[in-house]
Amino acid sequence: MSKEYELDCMGEACPVPLIKLENKLNELEVGDLVIVQIDHSCAMKNVPEWARKQGHNVEIEEVDDGEWEVFVEKAV
Amino acid sequence: MTETNNTQSSLSSRRSSRPSRKRKPKKSQLPKAYATLAVIILIGLGLSTISKTLALFWVIGLSFGFILQKAKFCFTASMRDPYLTGSTSVTRAVLIAFAITTVGFTAIKYGYFAKGLPIPGMGYVVPISLATAAGAFIFGIGMVIAGGCASGTLMRVGEGFTMQILSLFFFVVGSLWGAHDFGWWKLNFIVKGEAVFLPDVFGWFGAVVLQLLLIAALYIAAEKWENKKNEAH
Repeated sequence: MSKEYELDCMGEACPVPLIKLENKLNELEVGDLVIVQIDHSCAMKNVPEWARKQGHNVEIEEVDDGEWEVFVEKAV
Repeated sequence: MTETNNTQSSLSSRRSSRPSRKRKPKKSQLPKAYATLAVIILIGLGLSTISKTLALFWVIGLSFGFILQKAKFCFTASMRDPYLTGSTSVTRAVLIAFAITTVGFTAIKYGYFAKGLPIPGMGYVVPISLATAAGAFIFGIGMVIAGGCASGTLMRVGEGFTMQILSLFFFVVGSLWGAHDFGWWKLNFIVKGEAVFLPDVFGWFGAVVLQLLLIAALYIAAEKWENKKNEAH
């Protein structure tokens, strides 16, 4: 049964959301979903880019002005 | 690759099955945009009555900020990402920027030289020394922690990040401290180094070719780095 996790990274500077996501994904299994909530435009670029490069499925939704939810489904 | 399609569409269906977050109806920001644009133009006109150069700086500064923000160009990311994520896309973008400015500035300087006029900007041809290396190293650590370098900090203050307002304050403090002590650094470290103006050594054309070759070599190295990091996964 694949699980869903929310990762609240609001207000955190550039590298932090990515590192948190990396650590979280290492703990999870294929098929689990992580929803990263970010409000940093830099992270909005480097988190999906990194996740896609790793081979995961990524979708982004802008939920508010300057706030995004990045859906990362672990695929490898 | 049906497998990829299945997993991607399963992500979309998982997203739509989630209880959707209550979204505040998004107010259009266009009125604020037009008002800001009007203020920018007014300030620009006002500055041009004092000095045309000032008005030019106003426009150039705003354009830089706009491009930096929209492109999500980040000098900090260019230096940090190769170690953090193995990605060198921003690093390569910065190298391309260096290559373009190399050609542009050489053209400007050569234009003055060819006319027999004093070359502008020669005050920036300063000796390279331990001070440069030490300063760059400290700045590198600092910029990753502060979440931006000089241009990035200014750009993020404009975007509204409160953390960068703090960075900006200490940026000013640090610069003032550095300016205060600059004489000491100059006497004890900087003058001990060599000031080399590449066109003096290699000729104008040679200097440009050499610099572009170096940048190209770094670009290829950056690409190889990223490919190696990806294969490791």
